[in-house]
Amino acid sequence: MIDLVGLIAPNILWIIAIIIGGTLISISVHFISVGGAPAAMAQATGIGTGTVMLAAGAGIAGIIAAGAVMDLNQNLGVVLGAGGVGAMVMLAATMIVATWIYAYGVGVMPVSAKVKYDPITKYRQDLYVSQGTEGHGIPTVAFVSSLLGGLLGGLGAALAYYALMKVGTYAYSGVIPLDVHNLDLVAVVATFTIGFFFINSVIPSYNIVGTIEGFHDPKFKRWPKAAVASFLASIPLGIVAVIAVGALAFVGGL
Amino acid sequence: MEPLISMGVLALIGAAATIAGASEDLESDVGSQSNANSQVQLAPQMGYVHRIYNKAIAGEPVSNGLMCTVGSTGALVLIQHFGFSPLFALVIGALIAAMVHGSYSVTAIMGREASQARFKQPIYLDLIRSHTPVIMAFAFLTTFSVEVVSYLLVTSLAHPFPFVLLSFLWGVVVGSVGSATGDVHLGAERQFQQQPFGEGLNASQSGNIVRKAESGLRNGIDNLWFCSKFGGPMTGVSFGMVVFLGTWIILVFDPAKSVAYGWLSNLLGLLIVTVLCIWNWHIEKETREKYGPFKEDKGEEVSA
Repeated sequence: MIDLVGLIAPNILWIIAIIIGGTLISISVHFISVGGAPAAMAQATGIGTGTVMLAAGAGIAGIIAAGAVMDLNQNLGVVLGAGGVGAMVMLAATMIVATWIYAYGVGVMPVSAKVKYDPITKYRQDLYVSQGTEGHGIPTVAFVSSLLGGLLGGLGAALAYYALMKVGTYAYSGVIPLDVHNLDLVAVVATFTIGFFFINSVIPSYNIVGTIEGFHDPKFKRWPKAAVASFLASIPLGIVAVIAVGALAFVGGL
Repeated sequence: MEPLISMGVLALIGAAATIAGASEDLESDVGSQSNANSQVQLAPQMGYVHRIYNKAIAGEPVSNGLMCTVGSTGALVLIQHFGFSPLFALVIGALIAAMVHGSYSVTAIMGREASQARFKQPIYLDLIRSHTPVIMAFAFLTTFSVEVVSYLLVTSLAHPFPFVLLSFLWGVVVGSVGSATGDVHLGAERQFQQQPFGEGLNASQSGNIVRKAESGLRNGIDNLWFCSKFGGPMTGVSFGMVVFLGTWIILVFDPAKSVAYGWLSNLLGLLIVTVLCIWNWHIEKETREKYGPFKEDKGEEVSA
């Protein structure tokens, strides 16, 4: 019989870390400049795909990087950094190629329709928006905002991954602790983290409703609602995840 | 493993990822999956009946994630329980995934076109017969390449994730990258070539896709021909960059050596990201100067 109290008590800190991770993921999605289907027709500013899919793509790149680093070095800072940087690299590589296609394949310049002047470059925006569109491409402000989103999302995902790995490798009384390289543990933790990432990137999409340009978009101001919702959703998720992964450690793997 | 051999393996992984990205985008162009599909779906409702393959099984990331998972699960079963050689098993796995994808494609187009019967949209059976093998061929290439990326990462570069899980993850990422990059070339340019070049699509023109080709009616393979010149290869470059750069920074500064190396690898990643950001800004500046504004600044004219 698994001792639930003995399982949860030493992992309170990691449950809090998972909740913080979920909230960070939720906030990060607001930063990522997504234009949804209209952006694929150069009809809206941002990256031309759905909010959740892009955030998940970036977050997963972060989880892959964090997982690889966690296997080599269990320093919290390094693992979190790897998650953040992994997600940023994925977004940067995607955005630069999208800019090539907008600039040279479609013949439009990156421009925002939500602000008159780009807050970073101070370039005039409204004159460069083609008729009947809500902007197109990925201007500097959207690029920087997306990178910040990637960083936060990757940090959140890596934090959840790190916390669950710590839960799985903890030396519970009367149990031989699992190794950090244990394939079953890594698989279960990675799958949990991905599911956790999807849940927390779906919640903010109700705020975003299709398109958001980044931190300069008026919709960005709605982030506290999603952050609170994700915070609350992450509490039961964190407890269930800790019980599931901790139980795996109790029974010594699959 | 020797750093030099690791780099060689990584180069192979990067090449496989580039092929995966390109074939993923071209697969979605033939079948018009992903975001640009919204216009193909909308066209008959606006009175523009067309002869373009219309399948959107799911969002590209999910669809590719499924494909790669099916393929790598098949391959792993063959390797572990039937003792197949990995290369042979990966090919058979990709073949299984292509067949599953083909069956989903047929049900998707049948369902989608049948639901538009009220808009007089026909179901072209010859279109299904000619396009589905092409879609399956690209699905095979994508799955096989993603499997190669994942298999090499797990076996040669000692990535801790299980092979099937890693395939699933890279499948989602390749779909995400392809949907965000190459599909813009199809959606914003190829589908609306009758609109002036150098503009975003005017919302009033939504659904008015090009339906005539150089000879006869335009179909998905015509779109594939166009997108294979720029959108497809660029998607390959993008996914190749994601896989290569993300792994390269860990290989150059191996975090296993010390915490400082771990931080150096993160800093190297940040440096790459900064360079790409500056490049994006440079293209923004260049295109603004070359293409010029769409409207005149009336406020400044009055003051002048």
